Formats: sequence, structure tokens, C-alpha cells
Amino acid sequence: MKATNIAAGAALIAAMTIFMVPPILAHHSSAGFSQDVKEISGTVKEFQFRNPHSWIQVNVADASGKVTEWSVEWGSPNQLGREGIRPSTFSPGMNVTIKMRPMMNGTPVGGFVGAKMPDGKTIGKWDTGDGKKPAYE
Amino acid sequence: MHNMHVNRKTLPVLPGLSPRLLLGLLLSSCLAMGQTAVTPFEKLPDWSGLWNMMGGTVFDTATQTGKGGVVTPGVREHPPYTPAFEKIYQGHLALRDADRYPDVITNCGVPVGYPRILNLPDAYEFVVRPDIFYIVTENGPNTMRVYTDGRKLPAKEDTWGTYTGVSVGHWEGDTLVFQTIGLKGNRDNDSILDRTGLVLSDEAKVTTRMRKINENTLEVKLVIEDPKALTKPWNVTKQFRKNSKPAQFMYDYGCAENNRNPADPVTGKTLTLGPDGKPLN
Repeated sequence: MKATNIAAGAALIAAMTIFMVPPILAHHSSAGFSQDVKEISGTVKEFQFRNPHSWIQVNVADASGKVTEWSVEWGSPNQLGREGIRPSTFSPGMNVTIKMRPMMNGTPVGGFVGAKMPDGKTIGKWDTGDGKKPAYE
Repeated sequence: MHNMHVNRKTLPVLPGLSPRLLLGLLLSSCLAMGQTAVTPFEKLPDWSGLWNMMGGTVFDTATQTGKGGVVTPGVREHPPYTPAFEKIYQGHLALRDADRYPDVITNCGVPVGYPRILNLPDAYEFVVRPDIFYIVTENGPNTMRVYTDGRKLPAKEDTWGTYTGVSVGHWEGDTLVFQTIGLKGNRDNDSILDRTGLVLSDEAKVTTRMRKINENTLEVKLVIEDPKALTKPWNVTKQFRKNSKPAQFMYDYGCAENNRNPADPVTGKTLTLGPDGKPLN
């Protein structure tokens, strides 16, 4: 990727942190998600950039080395695409830290809040999101 | 105006007749039939571009907290439901609180209908033509047609209840005014206004007024009348903000493309499927 493209991509991602248009999980109820924010670090297995919602599959190892695959749900690719996100934003093998609202029943599923990328840049509501879910979007 | 340029191209063109002459003929025909004259392109507002609904997807945000998040005069604190429909609504709220109130669109099968079509995420297009007005939503996708060619609403016995109903309108200056009838309402339990469980009956009639209140904001004022469901008219205001980025595209929204959140047909619970298609919860 050329330096100009990288700069443009960074600018788009930066813009996204400011202009992210709510709501992002409007295809279904968000009632199962916790109000609290959980942070996971792991390796991207797959980024499903498809409608009605995008999903980031992340393999997360615990202290014993046991790996759990997390499913992190995000907005529609249409909405995210207009904000600068691309299928390549999360590429397989990438090490990321993700903030999300986990499901309250303990399954390894969460609603995306923000992410810190390998270069330290952040996307989504990494700094500003308090994880409070809107009432029944 | 951009819309005008594009829309003129879409007018059917007969050999030897210009679009302007055709429009004149249409105007004459309407007047001869005693119908309201259509508004020519030149007098229609420019609503081109992509738009997004402002706020969350609770239909009337004033019903969300009881105090209201919208300050526009006329917005109610709670739908003025009849006792029977208040009971229905409270039942839906209880199911919602137990995560057992499935949204009918979660299974990707039916249109959202009216007025919920004004209550969606993702992009909108509002297509203005003299003879018809279209609401095109990326989410769904959904389309609604409002006929502005001078026709009248059909008689009640000539409607049979559909998700979007039938709509006929006219222009009052820069304001589009239309009425919608023939809605199926809660008849089949597959048409809601939002995920809190707001519903109307098949007797609903909606009067809608749409106008730009500034260059980047469209305001939609709804007066919902429903002798079965409401004790008096329910006033709701929605607003849309224009996407300021140039040359944005609308895209497919294949709801069933990768739907990992179908509703359980037995419990009504919203499921979450893993990447292998098996339920995780």
C-alpha cells in the first residue's frame, strides 16, 4: 500500500471515530448484550464484511493457552463502508485488541465498541465509547 | 437540480414530443378530470443525495424514556392507546424485557411497512418527481411510493391491508403532504413500528408532511389516526440529516446474506449463530 493510501486510510478511520452513525445493531434486538465493556486481545481469524451485520472472528488464548473463538458483531458493511472501513481493515492473522459489550449469557459473542490496531491506531469508540447500549435499538 | 436532470431522463418520451410538452399534457389531463394539478419539475424541491435518520430506532423517542428526547412541539410522551391496544403494547414490552419479542424483520422476510420505513438505520434516498415520490431505504431494502399525479385515495373497500398501504399526496410549496391508508397493522402480528412493540391497527390513517427545514435537514411530521388503537391523533416527528460526503453510493442490503441473528420460532428469542451456522446461545 502506498504511503498516501495509508494516510488516507488513517484519515478515514480517524473520521470514523468521530462520525460513526448510530445505531449499528438495528437488525435485531440488543437486549442480550451487557452494559459493561469487555476487552479481548487476540488474532483475527476472519472478518465477515457482509449484510446485515459484519462479524469479526477473533481467536483469544487464555493464560493456560486454551483458545476461544469470539464473534464480535459490528454494523452493516454499507454503513461501515461509507465510514472508511473495508474488508481488509481486519485481515486474518492480525493481532488486535477489541472493546465490546459481551452477551450476558456468557457465550463468546460481543457487540463491537472499538479496536486498537497493530500500529496503535484506534477505530470505533475506543476512547469515547462508554459501552452503554441504547434502549432497544 | 441534480434530481431534475436525472428524473427528466426517466420520463417516457414519445417521438416528437418533448418532456416539457408531455408534462403540459399531463397537467391538462388532470385538470380536465377535476383532479389536483401535478407540480412541475421546476417547482419541486431538491431532496437529492443520501440521508440518514437522526436518532435511534425507537419510533417516537418520546416514548423511550417517558420524558422525551425530542423537543419539537407536538411530540407526545406516549401513544394515546385505547385500553385494548395499551394492553397489547404492555404485553410486547414485557416480552421485550424477557428478550422474547422477536422483531419481524430479524428473519429477513417482510417489508417494514409504514410508518416504520421512516425509522431505519443505513442510507435513504428521497426521489422527487412530479407524478410520484419514492422513499428508498438501503436497509431491508424497502421502497415506498406516494402518488402525486392527482389521483385520489381508493375507497376503503378497495384496500386489503398491506405493509406499506397506499399513499396519495400533493405539494404545498416545498412541503409534500400525503395520506396513507390500507395498512395491515397488527392483523397478522408481522408489522410493528419499532422494537419496543408499538403497533397500529388496520384502521390506521397517517397524514404525513415532509419538508426541508434547512439545507441538510428533512423534517417529517406524522399525524396518526386509528379509531381502533388510538383515542386521539398521535403526533410524531422524525428528522433526517443529509450525508455531506460527496458521491456516496447506495449498496445492496441482502438481509439473508449472512443473517446470524434469526429469531427462534418457538421461544421468540433472538439467536446468535456461530460462523458454522450453529446457535451459540
